[in-house]
This record gives sequence, structure tokens and C-alpha cells, in this order.
Amino acid sequence: MLGWTGNILRVNLTTKTSKKEAYSEEFAQTWVGGRGFASKILYDELKPGIDPLGPDNKFVVALGPIAGIPAPNTGKAVVAAKSPLTGFYGDGNLGTRVSEHLRKAGYDALIVEGKADRPTMLYIEDDKVEFLPAGEVWGQGTYAANDWIYGKYGKGVGVLNIGQGGENLNRFAVVRSLEGRAGGRPGMGAVMGSKLLKAVVVKGTRPIPQADGPGMKALGQGDLKKVHQIDKETGWSVQSTTGVLSFCNEVAGLPVRNFRKTHHPDAWKIDGERLNNARIATYGCPNCTMRCGITIYDQEGRESELDYENIGLLGANLEIFDLPQVGSLNYLCDDYGLDTMSAGCVLGFYADAIDHGATDGDFKFGDAERAKELLRLAAHREGKVGNLLADGSLRMARAFGRGSEAYAMQVKGLEVAAYNCKFIPGQALAFGVAAIGAHHREAWIITFEIKHTTRESYGPEKAAKVIELQRIRGGMFEFIVACRFPWIELGWSLDNYPKYFKATTGLDWTLDDMWTRADRIYAMIKLHFLREFPHVTRQADYPPAVWFDPANADTDGPIAGKHLEADKYDGLLQHYYDQRGYDRRGIPTKATLEKLGLSREAAEAEAYAKLS
Amino acid sequence: MKIQVKMIGPLMYEAGFSEKEIEVPARTTADALLDLVKVARQRPKIVTRNGKAVAPDEPLCEGDRIAISPIYSGG
Repeated sequence: MLGWTGNILRVNLTTKTSKKEAYSEEFAQTWVGGRGFASKILYDELKPGIDPLGPDNKFVVALGPIAGIPAPNTGKAVVAAKSPLTGFYGDGNLGTRVSEHLRKAGYDALIVEGKADRPTMLYIEDDKVEFLPAGEVWGQGTYAANDWIYGKYGKGVGVLNIGQGGENLNRFAVVRSLEGRAGGRPGMGAVMGSKLLKAVVVKGTRPIPQADGPGMKALGQGDLKKVHQIDKETGWSVQSTTGVLSFCNEVAGLPVRNFRKTHHPDAWKIDGERLNNARIATYGCPNCTMRCGITIYDQEGRESELDYENIGLLGANLEIFDLPQVGSLNYLCDDYGLDTMSAGCVLGFYADAIDHGATDGDFKFGDAERAKELLRLAAHREGKVGNLLADGSLRMARAFGRGSEAYAMQVKGLEVAAYNCKFIPGQALAFGVAAIGAHHREAWIITFEIKHTTRESYGPEKAAKVIELQRIRGGMFEFIVACRFPWIELGWSLDNYPKYFKATTGLDWTLDDMWTRADRIYAMIKLHFLREFPHVTRQADYPPAVWFDPANADTDGPIAGKHLEADKYDGLLQHYYDQRGYDRRGIPTKATLEKLGLSREAAEAEAYAKLS
Repeated sequence: MKIQVKMIGPLMYEAGFSEKEIEVPARTTADALLDLVKVARQRPKIVTRNGKAVAPDEPLCEGDRIAISPIYSGG
């Protein structure tokens, strides 16, 4: 096998043992890597109903056949497990040198099982696997832990670690790497914490097997230069993703005040222009020549690496229009190892619930200092409030009652991204049907809706666009494992990715071959959901109820009086199901599963719920 | 007539301004405005008028707020 190493490393923290396991070429070509490997491995190896924070869960790091090889934006890894936030398959994608090092160590995936008897750091160097004590840094943030690891091994290693959030089983704790990279929104950090696994450190020294190593090297390095040139010409990384804040503010799509409002006159204070003006450094992922991590000094003088989601949800959504203060909240999330997006939504929900009398509490929109304290409480599960926040907005809403679930901004338990879809039907669909819960990573169609269709429509073309983007963003980029930005932000042709794939594997796949795998993986993740929630209805694929509420419509601006309409959304959802070959619950039919080569998995799922 | 023009993201550096009021001839269209603010034609972009989509041949009105943005993808 070329491109793939053909091996998975399985580690058991309970027994302190490890095993190198070969996998077949059929497995490689069926699931490819990344999200494909992780979703299949976890489907086969986990029983439904297990506690995501118990020893039976498994933490998976999965790479793809171009991961770690110099080429546009391949320095990424997928982390996955059963999610303590959503209760079914969850994953994330982050920039990390683990991508290159794990592949050079000879593995395309790492499976961590069991639970250590004390805080542990897993050290992998080629065939060597060590279970080392991490008590010295247990209780410390990700920055201190990272420094400690670099102090031991130098910077020539790949590191995944967790902060206090993961250690204390905060359900939206993430996995961290490098300066400000984070991933695994649905609590992958908490899964590491539940295993007393503080860090995974990898050093790989061997070449990655490739069909045409010299050709791939020339192609990849040449293309990295070309991407860099396009970035220079377009100026994208001058404001990086944060330029979209101004666009959202213009078109009434910005999350403000727990998504109650869609624009704000002070939004300019935290926009991309201000961020660039405050820039002191730029960080990014390995193998990236369009670095997106604009770094500023936060209120306390620390370096804080920001992007749009952080600013949108910790800034605008909390009505904190003060860039250094937003930087501080972002820094704290990164250090504690909390997902900035869920943190922003959780805090926004908390303030909103207090405002609406659903709970007592002390937090007002705009109060940055109190927000910092609440993040500390949430990361440490300290006190009643800390424990409440640490469980995420859906569980908070169920505890509060009083109709608050309507404005807990989440789908399937995962908090939404920084796009206010109270009148953006297609993007609301994208959130509703994202594989792991609300996530913009998989499909973002706001410009398409505004420019190429009409904002008001709920037509099948919007469902088709969501599927098209899911195949690319939530599919191909998540299983070959690379960042989508060169393509989606700079117009780098998708045709380049089958070229990289061929250079490493020798296989002449088309983009249609990629889409087949993508559809298979989406169906697989739906089976994960079905096994855990056998009484699923199509309501699980609905966005937050508050977006449908006429009382929540804007009173001014371009969408005054407008809101999502439930019957029309249901029609749009049905278009999606029809185009995907899913039944009325949003579950793939037997015919669809058979077409995708998932008959065995379908038969297994039928032990838990009926398939159509 | 006077209109407000907001340039978003890297387009502001190309145009040389972030936001300003400009005087344009009556019945200037959205498409013609792009030449006036000197944004390269080949750059993918989206133009909105008062927060809504605007057709290229749509004449603008006094007091309009026009935003010209690159095509973002959601980060």
C-alpha cells in the first residue's frame, strides 16, 4: 500500500500496552482516512449506550493519505470519540505536527482505550510507546503543558494536549496544539481528560510511503508557493476569516446578544480591520502558506490568536465590542482548552436565560470581567454555576425549563457557529443537517443564498448546495485530511486534490470517487446517531426554535419582520432527505445504505432501530 | 447623489478606503459603481444594497448603503 502506512497504533491506558495493527487496502480505499477511519472504527468498536466519559469510550486520532506531506494545508489531524456533549459520534480537525509525526512514525491512526491510573502523557517515537507521568502539569493550562513538553523533547515533536477544561470533563473541552490551534468541539478534550490523558506526544522519523515521492514533493512544494502568491495577490490573510464579520453585520447575519439581534452599530470595533491593526504576530498550521491566526495582545498583555468564530461568539454574541477583552476570553478558552464557539454560545445563553427569568444568576451582556470568571468556573466545574456551564447549553436549558430550550443555540447538543440564521434558510438547514451537530465547517452557503438564489427561498437548490458542500468540506477535506481554505477562500482548484492523492497513493480517483466516500461517511455518522437515539425524528435536524419565532424577528434593518418559517423549513429539509436518499426521520434508507456499501452496518443498526 | 460605500476585507486596501460617502451620478448602477471605486473586475465579490442582494444593472438611490465584499466561505 502506498500513500497509507497501512497501520494503526492501538494503545490501552489501563494495561499500559500498545499494538501496531495492520489494516487492509480495502479498508483504506473504502474509508480513506480522517473522519472516514474514525467513524468506521468507532462504529465497529463502541457499543451504543456507553458513557462517553467512561473507560469504554475510545479516543481516535486519524490522518489521511496526504496528511503530513508538504502540500497546501496538509498539517491537520482529525480527533474523534463518542461525544459527551451530543451523545453520539463527534470529531474535530486541528492543525498539528502530530499529523506529520504520526505518519512518519508509521501510523495513519491512533486508538486510545481504557483509562490510566494517574495523569499520563503518551509518548510515541516510531515503534516506541511510553506511558509517562504527567502529574507535574495536571491542573495546568495548555500553554504551560506545551512548554513543559517542549522543555523535555524540544520543538521537533507533535503535541496534542488538554487544559483544565478537559481534565475536569467540561463537555465542550477541546484538544489543543501549537500556539492557538484547537479542535474536537464536541468534547474530545473531555474524553482525553476522562482517561487521565494529558497529552499525546509523537516523534516520527521514517519516510511516509508514497507512489511518487519526488513528484509529490515537487508538486506539493510548488503548490505551496502558488497558494502563497495567490494569498499575497488577493490579500486574504490581511484580515483572514475575520473579514466576514463586516459582511455578516451588513446582511443581518451576525450573532449579537445570544443571536437575538443580527447586527450592531459597534461591530466595527472588533472587525477584521481593527484586528489587523492590532496584529503582533501570525500563527498557523504546518504546511500552510496563508496563515490565518492573527495574534494580538489581549487585555492582560498575553498573546491571543483570533479568528472570526472567536470574535463573533465571544465578542459580538456577548456584546463585548472590545478587541483586547475578546482576546482575553479567547486566550482563556485556549489555555483552559475550551471550545471558543460553544463557550460563546453557552455564556450568551446564560445571560439570555437570566434576562428572561429562566434562572437566577449574575451575568449581563457586555460584562467581559464576569465572562472571564465564568470561563474559569466552567473550566474547573467549580460550584453550581461552573458545573452548569460545563454541561453545555442544551443541558442548561433542560435544567432551567421555562421555555429556555427555544433559545439554547444548538443542534443535537452542539452549539451553533457564528452565523445568525434567523432569516437565512439554507444556512439554517446546513446547521440542522451537519453530521455531528451544528457546525459551519461542513457547509456554508450564505453568499450563495444571497447572491445566487433569493434569501426568502426554501427551494431544492439550497438543499443541493448543502449536499455539494458537505461532500467537499465535511467529506473530502475531512478524510484526505487537509484544510479547505486554499480552495474555498483563494479559489485553489479542487482538481488539485486528486492529483495529490494520486501522487501519494498511485490511485487515479476522480472527485466523484471522493463524493462516494463522503456520502458513505455521512450515512455512517447517521447510523451512529440512530444507534444512540433509536426514536429519532426529523426534529433532530431542526435549527434553534427561536429562529422561527415571530417575536424574535428584527425590528429594523434588512430583515425586519422576517424569520424562518417552520412549514417551509420542513419542506427544505425534505428536499435534503429526498436528495440524500434518507427517510422521513433523516435516516438513510436500506436501499441508500446498500448503494453506499453499508449493508453490514445497516444490519447491525437494525438491532437497535428500524430502517426504512 | 450621495451614497455610503463600505469595502469589506482585503477590498478596502485595494479601494483605498474602508467606508465613506461618495457622490455618484444619478442612476448609477451597482455594476458601474465597481469601476468608480476601482475594485478589480476579476475578483469574486458580492455587492449588497442596504443589506440585500442587488442586481448589477439596478440603479442606486440617494442614501443607499452599498457594501462590496469578497466571497467568504464561513471560515
